[in-house]
Amino acid sequence: MFVCPDKYEVIVIGGGHAGCEAALSAAKLGARTLLLTQNLDTIAQMSCNPSIGGIAKGQIVREIDALGGAMGRVTDISSLHYHLLNTGKGPAVHSPRVQCDKKIYQFTYKHLLEQQPNLDIMQDEAAQLCTDDNGICGVLTLRQTRYHTQTVILTTGTFLAGTIHIGTVMTPGGRYNDMPSNLLSQNLREQLQLPMARFKTGTPMRINARGLDYTKFRPQPSDTPPWTMSHFTDIATLKDRKFGQCYVTHTTLATDKILRENFQRSALYGGNIHSQGPRYCPSVEDKIKKFPEITSHPLFLEPEGFYTEEFYIQGFSTSMPEDVQRALIASVPGMEKCTITRPGYAVEYDYADPKDLYPSLQSKRIPGLFLAGQINGTTGYEEAGGQGLIAGINAAHYVQGKEPFILRRNEAYIGVLIDDLVTKGVNEPYRMFTSRAEYRLLLRNDNADLRLTPIGLTLGLLDKKYAQPFENYKHLCEDLCEGKTPQPDLNLGPWRAENAQRYADIQHKYAGYFERNLKDAEKLADIDNIKIPEGFDPSSVRGILFESAQKLREIKPQTVGQASRIPGVTPADIQLICVHIERFRRLKNAQKTA
Amino acid sequence: MSTDTICALSTGPAHGAVAIVRLSGPDTLAVLNHVVANAPVWQPRRQTLCTLLDGTTVLDKALVTYFKAPHSFTGEDVAELAVHGSPYITGRLLEILCKLGARPANRGEFSQRAFLNGKMDLLEAQGLCDLIASGNRAAHELAMQQLEGKLSAYIDRIKTPLVELLAQIEVRLDDAEDELAPLAPDYIQTQLTHILTPLKNLADTFSVGRLRKEGLKVALVGVPNSGKSSLLNALVGFDRAIVTDAAGTTRDTVEETLELNGQKVILTDTAGIRKHALDIAEQEGMRRSVRAMQQADVIVWVTDGSLMLSPEELTLWQQIKRQGKRTVLVRNKTDKTSVPLDLPADLQAVPVLNVSCKTGDGLEPLKEFLTRPQAAVNTPQGLLISNLRHYEALLHAQTELETALLHAAQGGEIIAEHLRAALHHLKDLLGEVTPDDVLEIIFAQFCRGK
Repeated sequence: MFVCPDKYEVIVIGGGHAGCEAALSAAKLGARTLLLTQNLDTIAQMSCNPSIGGIAKGQIVREIDALGGAMGRVTDISSLHYHLLNTGKGPAVHSPRVQCDKKIYQFTYKHLLEQQPNLDIMQDEAAQLCTDDNGICGVLTLRQTRYHTQTVILTTGTFLAGTIHIGTVMTPGGRYNDMPSNLLSQNLREQLQLPMARFKTGTPMRINARGLDYTKFRPQPSDTPPWTMSHFTDIATLKDRKFGQCYVTHTTLATDKILRENFQRSALYGGNIHSQGPRYCPSVEDKIKKFPEITSHPLFLEPEGFYTEEFYIQGFSTSMPEDVQRALIASVPGMEKCTITRPGYAVEYDYADPKDLYPSLQSKRIPGLFLAGQINGTTGYEEAGGQGLIAGINAAHYVQGKEPFILRRNEAYIGVLIDDLVTKGVNEPYRMFTSRAEYRLLLRNDNADLRLTPIGLTLGLLDKKYAQPFENYKHLCEDLCEGKTPQPDLNLGPWRAENAQRYADIQHKYAGYFERNLKDAEKLADIDNIKIPEGFDPSSVRGILFESAQKLREIKPQTVGQASRIPGVTPADIQLICVHIERFRRLKNAQKTA
Repeated sequence: MSTDTICALSTGPAHGAVAIVRLSGPDTLAVLNHVVANAPVWQPRRQTLCTLLDGTTVLDKALVTYFKAPHSFTGEDVAELAVHGSPYITGRLLEILCKLGARPANRGEFSQRAFLNGKMDLLEAQGLCDLIASGNRAAHELAMQQLEGKLSAYIDRIKTPLVELLAQIEVRLDDAEDELAPLAPDYIQTQLTHILTPLKNLADTFSVGRLRKEGLKVALVGVPNSGKSSLLNALVGFDRAIVTDAAGTTRDTVEETLELNGQKVILTDTAGIRKHALDIAEQEGMRRSVRAMQQADVIVWVTDGSLMLSPEELTLWQQIKRQGKRTVLVRNKTDKTSVPLDLPADLQAVPVLNVSCKTGDGLEPLKEFLTRPQAAVNTPQGLLISNLRHYEALLHAQTELETALLHAAQGGEIIAEHLRAALHHLKDLLGEVTPDDVLEIIFAQFCRGK
């Protein structure tokens, strides 16, 4: 065994969208960080669709970006198609989505990681987490190397004991052609006793566009003029970009018939898959089964990159055998002459019950262990990235003895996401929707910077050079909202005056509603500010309902606000907890003085 | 420090002479200045005699004391309003305070605030915890009963379409590719109207429900020796009031609570009202009679059916009329010779019942009259609400839905704000509706996703 002499403070296991953000943020905050990944060439790989953003997800990317994360910037560097979704609806639900060149995305991200001070990258597979009385103390890899560390961030995606299903064929794999992490899965279950369970997800087939008859499709051009996903991208860099095109088409009655005749041959209905998949992201066989009255489902053709003919077919996620997949493709007008380059498949993997985490994403069982991304039962690059960023910050804070960093539900979708995960747990892969946010009108993509950039600057994730231009932009927004004539010639840095104008218009449109939302948010802040003190067990409070006590024991809320959001906990329970916290505090003070 | 202002009756629900309603929280002064006519500049800890307003009419006279934070029982701004101890006045006052921005306090909430603000010691806190805990159990049991009871079935008629409409709106807000046709404004309007009708009907039962719970206040009035006390005794079934043949025996008011046809009724026998009171005590009795009429839900005017209406009685009628209350004219002693009625024109609309307290004739129609619902109850099986908190919730929800109705042509995210707010208000009645409940419907009804 080789014991690596470097003393790491943070080791990130997994180089996906959660792992990359986690490694970058921990290193930026000064923690000595190592990123361990099976394969350097699949860092930040987009395993499923070739796009970043989407409804509610686009808002998350803007939040990550405003806080100082990388996802938005990398998106703009690799972008080949911009589409602001939902423009027919109110600005609160406008959601940016960008198609990316997968390879450029990956290698841009890899390069970014390589340049980051404090961050080392090593191609090896983690096999075992080492713990001592203080919690995490090291990581042992497949190559029998032992790394010393104070914290570990697990971002394993679909790799823990991953199983891939194509029809009745089952192969071990975290992604097609990539080996699963079975030793680590066993270690987490057996030695560390994390509460593990299984989820399922899937991906559609990729096709070679060479045989496509484009006349049969409705084209979806990129938005003109283009905009940027990141607050910090110079829009001029997009001037010479050759944007690609997406296409829309539909399944037919023939598609329907093929699926019906082959239900039993799919992994999903043939009996091989028992774990729960995401209901909002159903495979095409699922759609036919659950909605037999709908005979035509939309399909979206999305290019996988600038230098490839491969297309991703959104809407055709399937676990059917390969021959059926061929027939499915042939049943769609315009796609008859196409060939499949990679079949669609379903993948089953381990996740750990996120109720076992604090809102900092630290494990309640093992000090120094943090979990982010799909291992927490979520899906989506954006949900993963948001959690990675927070886990990275909190691992660094843990090492540096700082307070955990937690975003509130009224501050960010990332706050909603993590609060939901740790308070309510998951019963299917969790995807963000705008309907999950009670402060939807406040959490918009156009104000992510105003909401979170001050936090990013304070944390130290954003370069100080942005502080002054941001202040100027903020004042410009305020002036425009109040109808004042703005100061001319302000240095806005990467921020743009037209965005301030748009912000002011939106502010005006929703004026009365913001007040309501803000008032509610204040109430939330009131109880979210009441921390449940160390040594105080809210479930032991006499008089709270039996069911509430059980849930409080399980969730171990960190604040009274979090306790109040546990389903079934009553307002009177919360009243009692508040009184008992005060009692606890006074008794403690009395002890101190005595 | 709390952000909202709470109110509650701090004396017991019994009908004492004086009841105290308390307000606590940051908006105390604002609420107080709206409910008090010609609000003075408040001197903390000083009692001021004030007139309380119910809209533009007078509700009651009250002794009001304002306590400025932190020098108050809760440590917040507090006001104490000492009003006349009638369930009608206190109930109505709480309704008005809630309309002005306060909300009904949870059980033990005043004490909770006092404790959290350091105004109460640890020993006292135990009693407070017991109080909250008992409320917790009671509310939990009530919720369970509602869940199983007929209220729950009725509530579903509000909840189901409301959550479904929200789901239909939410699914479109989260529909990236605009595959679903937008909801037509008139569809939204129709749905909202369907939700609003049962909701309003339920809210409208509050006045009846409150009477059911607190009791219907009936004032028995009439000139001395018209037989008010005999009527009271006949209705109650035993001799509660002193009945003699000498006019003016009942100088104080006599209150009796009884159940008539399943309805709680509080009968007040008042001193006979006469123009020239014989002595000071009787004058005082009469003052109380007038107040009893002011506080009553129904006035029973008792006359001697064997006599013609006297000039005194016609004067009394003017006083009764001024109250604007539901009134019945009871002609007592009809076992004796009954004289034909010769009513003045403005008395024609008042129902007349012939009663004999001796034989019991005519008592049944009187009971029926007293317990007849005063407001239309448009809910099935006579379903009623009597809890002020539920009533407030229904009113708030109604306002939200009516605003949504006005905005039906606006963006879904705006309508959704109002529907969510309505659901939030109704969570005590409907049970909490979470985003997961909405997503549940979306996944069940719509084929979504890539």
